[in-house]
Amino acid sequence: MDEKLKQDLIQIVGEANVTDNLIDRVSFSYDASEHSHRPEGGVWAESAEQVSEIMKLATRNKMPVIPRGAGTGLSGMAVPIEGGIILDLNRMNRILKISIEDRLAVVQPGVVYLDLEKALAPYGFFFPPDPASGKVSTLGGNVATNAGGLKGAKYGTTRDYVLGLQIVLPDGRIMRTGSKAMKSVSGYDLTRLFVGSEGTLGIVTEITFKINPKPTATSTALATFDNLEDAGNAINQIMHSGIIPSALEILGRETLSAINQNTDLNLPEVDAMLLAETDGYTREETDYQLGKVMAIFHENNAHEVRQAETEKDVEDLWAARKSAYAVLARIENNFVLEDVTVPMTRITALLNGIHAISQRHRIRIATFGHAGDGNLHPQILYNGYDPEQVKRMEAASADLFKLAIDLGGTLTGEHGIGISKAPFMSLEHDPVAMDVMRSLKKMFDPNNILNPGKMGLEV
Amino acid sequence: MEMHGYNMPEDLYYEENHFWVKEEGDLLVMGMDDFAQVMAGEIVYVQLPDDGKEIKKGKKFAKIESGKWLGKVFAPVNGEIAAVNEELETNPGLINDDCYGKGWMYKIRPNAKGEMEDLIHGKEAVEKWLLADIEKYAEG
Amino acid sequence: MPSKYEFEEKFRDQVLRCSRCGFCQAVCPVFGATLRPALNARGKMLLLKEVMDGKIDLNDELIETLFQCTTCASCYENCPSGVNVPEIIKAARKDMVKAGSCHPAFKGMNEVLDKYTNIYAEDEPEDFEREKNQAAENVYFVGCVGLYREDESTSATLDLLDRLRVNYTLIDEVCCSGVLEDVGYPIKDHLARKNIESILATGAKTVITGCPYCSRTFNNKPQYAELKEKGVKVVHVTQFLQGFDFGVTTDKRVTYHDPCDLGRHCGIYEEPRNTIRKIAPNFVEMADNRKNALCCGAGGGVRGAYAKNSIAMARRRLDQAEAVGAEIILTECNSCVHNLANAKLRKQKFRIYNTPQFINELMDAAE
Repeated sequence: MDEKLKQDLIQIVGEANVTDNLIDRVSFSYDASEHSHRPEGGVWAESAEQVSEIMKLATRNKMPVIPRGAGTGLSGMAVPIEGGIILDLNRMNRILKISIEDRLAVVQPGVVYLDLEKALAPYGFFFPPDPASGKVSTLGGNVATNAGGLKGAKYGTTRDYVLGLQIVLPDGRIMRTGSKAMKSVSGYDLTRLFVGSEGTLGIVTEITFKINPKPTATSTALATFDNLEDAGNAINQIMHSGIIPSALEILGRETLSAINQNTDLNLPEVDAMLLAETDGYTREETDYQLGKVMAIFHENNAHEVRQAETEKDVEDLWAARKSAYAVLARIENNFVLEDVTVPMTRITALLNGIHAISQRHRIRIATFGHAGDGNLHPQILYNGYDPEQVKRMEAASADLFKLAIDLGGTLTGEHGIGISKAPFMSLEHDPVAMDVMRSLKKMFDPNNILNPGKMGLEV
Repeated sequence: MEMHGYNMPEDLYYEENHFWVKEEGDLLVMGMDDFAQVMAGEIVYVQLPDDGKEIKKGKKFAKIESGKWLGKVFAPVNGEIAAVNEELETNPGLINDDCYGKGWMYKIRPNAKGEMEDLIHGKEAVEKWLLADIEKYAEG
Repeated sequence: MPSKYEFEEKFRDQVLRCSRCGFCQAVCPVFGATLRPALNARGKMLLLKEVMDGKIDLNDELIETLFQCTTCASCYENCPSGVNVPEIIKAARKDMVKAGSCHPAFKGMNEVLDKYTNIYAEDEPEDFEREKNQAAENVYFVGCVGLYREDESTSATLDLLDRLRVNYTLIDEVCCSGVLEDVGYPIKDHLARKNIESILATGAKTVITGCPYCSRTFNNKPQYAELKEKGVKVVHVTQFLQGFDFGVTTDKRVTYHDPCDLGRHCGIYEEPRNTIRKIAPNFVEMADNRKNALCCGAGGGVRGAYAKNSIAMARRRLDQAEAVGAEIILTECNSCVHNLANAKLRKQKFRIYNTPQFINELMDAAE
């Protein structure tokens, strides 16, 4: 790192919080995606004021700054693709306030999702999105990507729960958006603009979340299907049951096999398995709901339909689902995890399409995902050291995106565009929309220093 | 006062295991001297007994540790612990940074202040003792 | 094509298998205390992958992370991709030493064990006022931490064994030197020989150790195979005490900290709890227990090389004890006792003991 820059940063955050060590630069080069690039260094900030000073300095020096939480993003939004410095927000990790009567929690961006859950649990409250990475991902990161999760179909995603934000703009000015009131339509909805903006418009330094009372009872069932078609139809038809399950997940054959290698669950290795959960306040209620869901499974040729009996079974099943993508990593030395999302009526077509793409490009694609809101996670598994396979992976990826768009869907339900999907933005967004997005970026960040090179916004 | 590479202020009284003592009103303040902190290396732990604990002259009443060394803190006089430097709980390195100032360790309520006179004091005595120890530890 | 690095020869597949998911951040004690991704398991794997890909070399710059791992195996326990990070780190440390890049504390320790009988370069252990090297059914092997840093705990354990009329002898023990294998060096053959000779000379058929690390070394390392060959069993004191009744109880709120070396590394979780439940009906578990136990931060040489961070890790564990209102924290490893006791703040009123030490104290009080 440039010596003057280093000294200037030390002035702001102190020597212990600035690094240009090799080991830090290497680990800051990566997130959970397949992308990497060295930054010049990193800083840890401990307050919005420090973040503001850092951005003012960065503006003067025209230096890229990349905000970072836990670094578990799957599309490369925390990768410093144009160099610069990483702004690590993990030390801003305090829960500032929980108000049950106002139904809100105020947190700093470095708080880990699970730690907020643990803090809310004694009150019988929860913060619904439940991303699979919740053990490690931070709330700031969840806001930056509008994280979804297993409860998406019934409870929505992160953006549905953000009441307000404190933001540091790329030029260092600090502002607040939103309101502590439960609803507001005062002025433009700036909050919604920042949620999901992948750290490209501003840095989130404080979040006010709406929180929900936590249902105390759940019922869980699994159903197996001999083919993807039937599973897809079952998912479609769920709406006809009148019930929205609190979770509805699909696991494909490859995924089931990989899970079995990693646990003692001994799941049946079939073409498709659905895991469903219903929630409420009494077992009667949740069992009743689950019964309706299970009936839909039966109507669609489910081979086996079984309700999970013990708490341990239930925990194990969901834990297995949450670690699916990392478990699949045992199969090959590289993978790419997609999260294409389509309208519910097109799920079967998507499932079949993924299968066809896998055949066509002779490359393994495991599938699992949030069937409940049409968000599948096809995971392409390949040998990254074989240039042939890399080419086939890229071709398969491109086909997957085209398929999703053709089916009226979106490139990404929850993982964000980052670097991975940037080349495909114009498949989904018309030129006027792209132009508007670029104008917004330019307005917020005229020097293009805040997380540059992401989302396909560079012309 | 600089003495053979170590800072050993003349006005202090020294316990032979390299702890310094000085008066502060009714109490005595105690800490580790420069020679000892250099030999020990970075201090990582200082035992801080409860206020009121009785200490006996010449006997160990606490432990102190650096990465490579476990040391004993010996009572320079008879008395009881009046206060401890609580900063050392989370920042024991203060002893290395400023062993005579911010790195003070214990405040003692002595039974008889006069006992302090038994300690090593005065330029000549301190120098003689220091030189002997420099030699002793150089061989080790 | 064989690699010049042992870690790559043995573990290339595993390093590649790291999917960068970062789940290890949830459980790594070093990351928890420092929030520095470079020190987390994932960070270490990313660095080693770059070494394997020829982008960086093993050199001094990697010391700070490769030698700052307690080898607690929490990451491995939680890794969905099955990457055995501690074993990979230990192999990489050997490569680092070969390349001339070692943390000075461990280089120093290796040299110390050529000249001294213990890792602290002390001349004399505490005198426990008991005869050594007697003929006996059991040898009680204390271990370096118990002899030179936690003598109170050792003394109490020996008192307890006496009360229980166990027929044992101490020996002129020397460091089992197992820790060297974890920090890039080999076990000292001459020390292993000395221990084996001393043990065999007593005619004992069982070695009871206070230190789970020593018991693992004796049980698993080839340098100590002769013990097994000669029919000598090695157990940790917690296993040895299973059959006994103590006749004392406490109504204090007691919790148990699973040492990594006894827990995750040996699978011994219930024996210590069986004993504790006999004497403490008011037993509570901390949030992360058994195979999820949070490491105290002392292991893998970290207490010697990175003491500040080590104590910071211990403080996190103590927070968990505070959260369940524990008055007494029991554990079965002198290293854990030492680190936790050093980390305890004055305002925290709980007391930290090895279980045998605590039982002995209860017996003292009952008299």
